[in-house]
Amino acid sequence: MDSRDEGPATEPGAESPLRADGNESCVPGEDSRDIIRINGITKVFGNAPPLTAVDQVSFSVRRGEIFGLLGPNGAGKSTLIRILTTLMMPTSGTACVDRFDVGRDDERVRTIIGVCPQNSTLDVELTAYENLEFYGNLLNVDRDQLPARIWELLKMVNLSDRAHMPVKTFSGGMRRKLEIVRAFLHYPLILFLDEPTIGLDPESRREVWQQVSRLNTMNTTIILTTHYMDEAEKLCHRIAFMNQGRLVALDTPANLKRIIPTGELVEIGYGNGHYDPGVIPRIQAREGVLGIEVHEQLLRISAKNGSQALPGILDDLEQFGITARSITIRAPSLEDVFIYLTGTGLAGGRTE
Amino acid sequence: MTRDPDTHGMFRGALAIFTRDFRKFLSNPFVIIMTLFMPIMYLIVFGNAMGGTITGIPLGVVQEDPFVGETPFYLAGTEILSTYHQEDKPSLFQVTAFDDEGSAREALDTRRISAYVVFPSDITPNREVRLYVDSSEYMIPTLVQSGVQASLASMGSKNPLQIYNIYGTINYIQFFGVGVIVMAIFMTTMMGGGIALIRDREMGIIEGYLVTPVKRSSIILGTIGSGTVRAFLAGFIIFLTDILIAGVVMRSIWSFVLVVCVLLLICVGITSLVVALSSRFSSQQEYASSVAFLNLLLFMTSGAFYPVLGMPYWLAWLTVVNPEYYAIDALRSIILRGQGLDIIAIDIAAIGIFTVCAIILGIMTYRRTIE
Repeated sequence: MDSRDEGPATEPGAESPLRADGNESCVPGEDSRDIIRINGITKVFGNAPPLTAVDQVSFSVRRGEIFGLLGPNGAGKSTLIRILTTLMMPTSGTACVDRFDVGRDDERVRTIIGVCPQNSTLDVELTAYENLEFYGNLLNVDRDQLPARIWELLKMVNLSDRAHMPVKTFSGGMRRKLEIVRAFLHYPLILFLDEPTIGLDPESRREVWQQVSRLNTMNTTIILTTHYMDEAEKLCHRIAFMNQGRLVALDTPANLKRIIPTGELVEIGYGNGHYDPGVIPRIQAREGVLGIEVHEQLLRISAKNGSQALPGILDDLEQFGITARSITIRAPSLEDVFIYLTGTGLAGGRTE
Repeated sequence: MTRDPDTHGMFRGALAIFTRDFRKFLSNPFVIIMTLFMPIMYLIVFGNAMGGTITGIPLGVVQEDPFVGETPFYLAGTEILSTYHQEDKPSLFQVTAFDDEGSAREALDTRRISAYVVFPSDITPNREVRLYVDSSEYMIPTLVQSGVQASLASMGSKNPLQIYNIYGTINYIQFFGVGVIVMAIFMTTMMGGGIALIRDREMGIIEGYLVTPVKRSSIILGTIGSGTVRAFLAGFIIFLTDILIAGVVMRSIWSFVLVVCVLLLICVGITSLVVALSSRFSSQQEYASSVAFLNLLLFMTSGAFYPVLGMPYWLAWLTVVNPEYYAIDALRSIILRGQGLDIIAIDIAAIGIFTVCAIILGIMTYRRTIE
């Protein structure tokens, strides 16, 4: 697979084959594996001074995949989701959700999507059951099947025994899980999850991940935003990096990692022991070694293939009387890729 | 000088809280304006609505049937009533002459005049002068009575004055009680339908259901529906209180049904207006101060407390576009005067137009996006 075919944001003014003529732009052509097609979406807030939250973003989401939108807080992920879910009008650009045009066919877009917004939208005064029942009616779920469906979902998230308790008595994790199943009440074609695990403990995060994977096996396309790297890596088939409103890169996690030319990282700690700078040129001369950085009590060597280069490096160290106290070899994380591409880290992001 | 660290800490904390509160106050100019504007409006609206002098009361004069020719007594009486005034104020009465008692009575029933004087056709001093008064208004009957008495006395007339309160004796509590029904509806609506929508918006609940296929009109109609039921219950409870405590008498089942219908119509109208307004506000504070202002304006000029006749012209003008005025007028017609659909048709039409406009406004202004 060509790893860069849908790569970085299309240049402003790029032509889209889908917008040949106004109304029929969202009717799928031969490329119907794409369920969402975004073309040059820009969103500007306010006017003094204007804030460009989303800047000329174009990409497609494939039918049935789990698609991750990754970026630090304020990257424009939620704004993009709000545009796709008809809550906001884009300043310019177009987007198709399945066969429907966002901004023109909003009512039909709403029938095929399920949304779990970033901030809780549960009515905390209602019970868990009542919350789901309320949405079941708003979403036009078959009246006869609704009770069974509600119980099925409550069971799925282990909330059956608390069905008739007000949501305000629920923990953050329980609320989040309830909100996610609520988004799935009507078997939507596309599920939008905006930061589904924000503020959750590790246990609850794992449960949410299981749920997301389970929903995806039912042929639902899932779009999730997150700033947790591990989450994106674990769940997503493809990931789009966003930074300051722009699309920075888009690919599978494995392909994204190959963007970094530094290969693998070999980190050797020598503790408080002896150090001789003479070793640096020696290691650098070795085949496959791309670079070396000296940190406090630590050498960070990037190499094409870390494990192959390691024995030779250790020999060099021994010759200069340096004792390795710790050795790690790691592939670059998504965070490293992000830093490489943007020069900034993911605030609040975690890596495993 | 040594500083006590505890005291110092206390002041610092207090100052921090003061600064934060004050900064928030200053950052919301709308609320500042409303905070200052409200008392001033109270002064102007309340002061004028309640303290105005009642002048120009529409009064009919007629000579007793059978009408043969105008007696000097009738002519002199009409003249003196037209010019009667208190000290340096304008004339108390605005006099209309009628040809016969029947047409005068009809004018009184349809509330074109507040009272009429029947002069005897015979000038003999023992013949009585009759005064028919619409007793359903506050203050006006007393003013009419004393004005007519004073006028007759100034003519040196010895004829006795016979007074007929056509709707019996009505206490202020009964007069005001009907106004309170409408006030209860407005209060409940302010805190009911409107605030519910804003709370949904403020707490983000709205973001959840705006992405469902539910229609804008469904949201508005559902909200108006629930608000109406609450408002109706509040109005109906006050209505029952009026009957049980204030001594309001329902003359027939038909009147009762009519009251219920009018109440429902008003509830839908006022709730729709409040919902239309609230869909434009995103903060409860701004909404509450705006609606409180509106409430003041509409309620004070509704005639609930004080006759519209006593208001200065610029304020009385507001009653023409005030749905509460029509609501109170319709309810008083049914409850206090025992009148039927024929009399309140105009009120009903006015409330109906208002209600339809409010619903349309509500649906049109409702934002389907969260910006």
